Amino acid sequence: MNDVADAETVLLSTAALTQRFGSAVALDALDIQMRPGVTGLVGANGAGKTTLLNALLGLRPPTAGSATVLGLDPRSQGAALRAKVGFAPERDVLPDEMRAVDFVRHLAQVRGLPRSEARTRASDSLWLVGLGEERTRTLGTMSTGQRQRVKLAQAVASDPQLVLLDEPTSGLDPTQRTEMLTLIGEISNEHSVSVVLSSHLLEEVERVCDHIVALDAGRLVAHGPIDELTGAGEGITLELVDIVEPAGTVDAVASALRGTGIEVERTGTTLRLGGAERDELSDRARDAVADAGARIRRLEARQRTLADLFEASAT
Amino acid sequence: MNDATRSADAREHAPEVDDGAAQILDQRYRPYGGARQGLAGAMCAVVGSSVRFTLGLGRPARHKFLPWLAVVVALVPAIVFVGMATVIDIDLISDQFLPDYHEYYLSIRIALFFFCGIVVPEILVADRRNGMLPLYLSTPLRMWSYLVSKAAAVALTLAVITVGPLLFLLVAYTIEGSGPGGPIDWLIVLARILVAGAAIAGTVTAASLAISSLTDRRAFAVVGVILLLLGTDLVTDALVEIAELDPRLYAFNLGDIAAALKDRIFGVGTPSSLGGRDGSPTQRIGELSTLFVVAANLAWVGAGSAVVWWRYRRIVASR
Repeated sequence: MNDVADAETVLLSTAALTQRFGSAVALDALDIQMRPGVTGLVGANGAGKTTLLNALLGLRPPTAGSATVLGLDPRSQGAALRAKVGFAPERDVLPDEMRAVDFVRHLAQVRGLPRSEARTRASDSLWLVGLGEERTRTLGTMSTGQRQRVKLAQAVASDPQLVLLDEPTSGLDPTQRTEMLTLIGEISNEHSVSVVLSSHLLEEVERVCDHIVALDAGRLVAHGPIDELTGAGEGITLELVDIVEPAGTVDAVASALRGTGIEVERTGTTLRLGGAERDELSDRARDAVADAGARIRRLEARQRTLADLFEASAT
Repeated sequence: MNDATRSADAREHAPEVDDGAAQILDQRYRPYGGARQGLAGAMCAVVGSSVRFTLGLGRPARHKFLPWLAVVVALVPAIVFVGMATVIDIDLISDQFLPDYHEYYLSIRIALFFFCGIVVPEILVADRRNGMLPLYLSTPLRMWSYLVSKAAAVALTLAVITVGPLLFLLVAYTIEGSGPGGPIDWLIVLARILVAGAAIAGTVTAASLAISSLTDRRAFAVVGVILLLLGTDLVTDALVEIAELDPRLYAFNLGDIAAALKDRIFGVGTPSSLGGRDGSPTQRIGELSTLFVVAANLAWVGAGSAVVWWRYRRIVASR
């Protein structure tokens, strides 16, 4: 890919981006590139997710390094940048007495839309997030899930090219969380709005994101397309789980497999197999289990998960 | 990715029609290709919203009561004076009862203090409490433009009290035939009303916002502003009038030093023109030079602005 094409497809990038608060390092020389689509910014609480979002918005000058977002420098072109970016903070505090439509309209106006356009788009955005019928309700009377949707609506109302969502599923129950993630995916896919979604829940990021940036204590743990990072399609490991006794059958299966050159790692009644193609592993595992008179409770391709990435980074 | 590309992408991802199945084909949300209003538009939006918020417009009735009570308290004396002038022969009452423009500020002082103490703190405190501040700072607004917008909103709403009743008086006196002598005099009085109103609003706004920036609790801010307005008045009066200390201590009396500037603008700032008994606060303030009075008011504005700026730098840095 040539430089011009590369520049067009890079949504934002950082170069040695560092943020210190006194002696604490919140962001440690991050080199990141994000591309259009939904990018998950994942890490435990305190990993530096919100600090990174603030730096990308130009709200806090970095201690060192630089960032470019939508081709703009957040430090010197922050106002122009923030007119193109929607943001929904994590904090679940909104002005209780305001009607949802007034709240969204006002922020759309502050982000640069003319008053009449802001009014129309506020209503449209609330319909988009499923709150069309509720748009004239005051925010204080809404549930946590509805308030999270209102925050999403205000972030997209000004037609941003990029939306930064800080923990948008915080406080939601599993059903609401699924609905919110589906909604975020739809907004990105159907309206071509790129999304950076911060979360401390790996499963949630895996469900909706195309790319991930994983942080741990301000350090970059992993970064890239989610399919590559989670090892989808590698298929080199099989998992045999809970082989039902008679006693000694797990050892017998393990020994048989090792005898054929397969790498076996045992944890209780679970065997993790490697060292061969997925199909071959599967065939040999079935043969060994049949020869030992055992039964299989679960046989599945084992993928690397985001949890594995964090475990690997910790060791 | 430009808007045209995004529009094309959106069409590409639009759901296909499946015969026989009901589908939502238009979610109404669409790309926006028009002009954006930039920082000036953002600031105007915040000013407009804050003025409405301060006056309780678009809010439940309980939020309308106090600000409009202050407006009524400021306007009622003017209405009474004009009513008297209408009902009673103007020549019989003009000298004794009808106040001159600069004298009317005594009538609105209570309304001004009431408005600053009860209503103004909410304009800054609410944004920090209800999460609007981080949202505002994620838009083209920066901290300085946000604070300037808020100060402008407060000054505009205060001007409703400091300028509104005086304009009413000017128009009423003019209709009654007791107004300024000619068009030039009329314009001079109008200019003095506007400048004096803006000066008082500016000084009191800076001080009120400074107190409001120091706490996230509205009640504390209310108490702080009232203490600033009334406390400095009592203390400096005691020091200058009773202890007979230097009258320049009135520089610390927010209400009186702002009123003194108003008097100078109306050309009545000297002891002889102010009236009052010898040694009274009114007379002692009259001893101060106009330059000192202007400098003291500017110092209040500067100090108030510095406190707000310092406080918000800390708030933003700790987010």
